[in-house]
Amino acid sequence: MTRAEVFEKLTEVFQDVFDDESIELSETTTASDIEDWDSLMHINLVSATEDEFDLEFEMKDILELKNVGTFVDLILRELGE
Amino acid sequence: MNEYTYADIEIGTKHDFSVTVTEDMMDKFLSVSGDCNPLHCSTEYAQEQGFQDRVVYGMLTASLYSTLVGVHLPGKFALFQELETNFRNPVFIGDTLTVSGEVTEKRDNFKRITIKSTIKNQNGKTVSKATIKAGVLK
Repeated sequence: MTRAEVFEKLTEVFQDVFDDESIELSETTTASDIEDWDSLMHINLVSATEDEFDLEFEMKDILELKNVGTFVDLILRELGE
Repeated sequence: MNEYTYADIEIGTKHDFSVTVTEDMMDKFLSVSGDCNPLHCSTEYAQEQGFQDRVVYGMLTASLYSTLVGVHLPGKFALFQELETNFRNPVFIGDTLTVSGEVTEKRDNFKRITIKSTIKNQNGKTVSKATIKAGVLK
């Protein structure tokens, strides 16, 4: 899977979790850019991403995420890409 | 009160308990919520709307999900996070409600469990169903 493909799928996850089809992601998107992205929604977001990509993230990796770009890096790493 | 830790819980872990709804519970809910809608407060109005008697507040019934999670499953170490629920059939004062919950999912990285729950009355009729997500603090 390419970075662009992961980005596209992740965007769909965000749109579904936040129930907002207008959400657009960039490499530098953080929680401060999306209303309602609080700690509870973060759990829902990570869980939905795990389901979408059929992955299971370690907590230490989740805690190191800085923005959407590093999240995509993590997904690609876990996919073995 | 149960004290399940995250490690204690397995997919399939279940608990249930029963409660009989009283007029005092309705009075207390009115006092807390301020919901003075006549469907819950007036027998005459409720019967005019086609119900046998005052209808018990849906959220009073749903408050029993808090009991399920906070007291029984997982109990002391619960952190109630999400609830999706519905009110399928009316509940009346004097009804005995049985709340049943079963763990259907565990997320190890967040120590989070999903519980599917149903509430049935004394006749076995489902009055509410819920999907609950709860963290387990220990």
